Amino acid sequence: MPVLHIRLFGLLATIWGGVLTYFYVSMRVSKYLAENFHHFILLGGIGMIILGVYSIINPQEKEPSSCNHHEDHHHNHDHSHCCDHEHDHHHTHEHKHHDHKHENEHEDHESCCDGHHAHDEGHGPGVTYLLTLVPLLIAMNYTQDRFSDAGLARQGAYEAPPVSSAPFTREDLEKNVPKNARGEFQLSLVNAYYAGGDRELHQVLADLPVEIEGRLMEEKVNNSEGKRRRLYRTFISCCAADATVAGISLDFDTTNSEIPNQSWVKASGTLTFEEHQGRTYTVVKVNSMEKAEEPYSEFLQRNR
Amino acid sequence: MSNTVEAQLQDGSFQFLAIFLEGLPFIFLGTLVSGFLGTFLPRNAFERFLPKNKTAAVLVSGLLGAIFPVCECAVVPVIRRLVRNGLPASCALAYMLAAPIFNPVTAISTYKAFNDSWTMTGSRLGLGYAIAVIVALVMARVAHSTYIKASELEHAHDHDHPRTLTAAMHNSLKDLMDVGVYFAIGVTLTALLKTTLIDPTTDFWKGLAENSFAGTPAMMFLAFILSLCSTSDAFIAANLANFREAPKLAFMVFGPMMDAKLVFLYSTVFRWKFIFGLLVALFILTGASSLFVEYSLEQWKPDPPQIPLNP
Repeated sequence: MPVLHIRLFGLLATIWGGVLTYFYVSMRVSKYLAENFHHFILLGGIGMIILGVYSIINPQEKEPSSCNHHEDHHHNHDHSHCCDHEHDHHHTHEHKHHDHKHENEHEDHESCCDGHHAHDEGHGPGVTYLLTLVPLLIAMNYTQDRFSDAGLARQGAYEAPPVSSAPFTREDLEKNVPKNARGEFQLSLVNAYYAGGDRELHQVLADLPVEIEGRLMEEKVNNSEGKRRRLYRTFISCCAADATVAGISLDFDTTNSEIPNQSWVKASGTLTFEEHQGRTYTVVKVNSMEKAEEPYSEFLQRNR
Repeated sequence: MSNTVEAQLQDGSFQFLAIFLEGLPFIFLGTLVSGFLGTFLPRNAFERFLPKNKTAAVLVSGLLGAIFPVCECAVVPVIRRLVRNGLPASCALAYMLAAPIFNPVTAISTYKAFNDSWTMTGSRLGLGYAIAVIVALVMARVAHSTYIKASELEHAHDHDHPRTLTAAMHNSLKDLMDVGVYFAIGVTLTALLKTTLIDPTTDFWKGLAENSFAGTPAMMFLAFILSLCSTSDAFIAANLANFREAPKLAFMVFGPMMDAKLVFLYSTVFRWKFIFGLLVALFILTGASSLFVEYSLEQWKPDPPQIPLNP
């Protein structure tokens, strides 16, 4: 690889590493990845910066004497003028696609033994910069670190819970779920969502006083009177691309709250279950709602 | 710009960054390993410990993921260097296809995702290994120049390159750039398709869940588009509650072997014609074997316990 190419590639590796490190340091990474991936981002970022800077500083082998070919060199061209060793010229395969250039033909190629000769089958720096940086810059320009409302819907925000057994019982609830000062169960939104799919649990949990935390969005299911909002949480395995959104309905007795969509809130009220078009949805009849602090990570993890 | 296009741009950008950030450190790790392996690993080192018999060598290579666990992003630059260092192409293929599935990390995540189910875990690992080995054994009978890119073969000539830190760093950098381009293309395509073509909440996708013969190819198509990491895709499959065993299994076996970003990553090593053939072969093999596993499980399922009428 020519020295200039190595330096340009080194710069690109440094930029990629810088992007990773920036996402980690700015904590924006928590909007994209599960927590157990965050340290990989930092390590990968630092590693790429080291690789990039090292390549910029050392774009070529410093000791030509290290070009010590121990074994037979099977080429059909003469390297002897750039490396003081014998080649025997047995050829085991055809080199139809390229010519091994001689030292004086290499652009900026002081060392003939840089490990690659002229095997540069990859893309040049121009194409590599174009194909990697353009989508990255576009993405960084248009992202808002979250799904749009349409995107949330595609990830399942308005879907009814699957018909299955909820992952907890009433005993689990009494034992594990804390209560707030008003005596309301501080139930996870995901558990409230899945409870909708378990008919046996409906009778156990119906009319339970609960406080549920989540993010607000517009309600589009069974909301002809416009008195409802949707509360959702996103759960992931690794990254936002594998996200599933679980949503429950908040029913306000009189009018909707003034708190804007996408705010984090704690809604207190009574847990109920409602049939709509043959599916069961979880609905909380809201008594009160207040803004909540945004958690460090947007996501709940599936494997926890 | 209309609201729809704006929303798609926002979601596409969000998903692009999510996959890019998730995958890039592992791509880097893979290229770092490949660069150092390519520099310091003695040529034909693998010939020393792999069985001389071609079939046995492929069978052993398919198991290497248990010792050297790598995800599908990291494995491509690694096998690329190993092929250059003299690892037989068929063995590299077996390792490349099996390792993302047949490794302890994937085994544990599958086991946990399916509520401690040995059946799904065993079926996934078994199918992944079997399919990888079958494909590799078939390709062992074909001249590797017909499916390995000419440029990779040109690298595999019989001489040592300098074994220095700088050479290793340059090799890593070169691999990172080569693979990074295809990774970026693959991620862009994945984000684009996910925000325009695929909507699992539509009736069409829901309807597929009722029939495994339709659901299995559909889930493989979905796995191809979603391009998920093999270490965690089991959690997605397990949450596709309405699908039966065959579609879920096909999703977890096909995806780590072939997806939108992998097509481009594979093109750094293999010829395009071979990649297309591999895609078709994996699609058929995975689909048919997943349906067979589902059928077998149904046959062997124990009868439901009888509830005594007069306890």
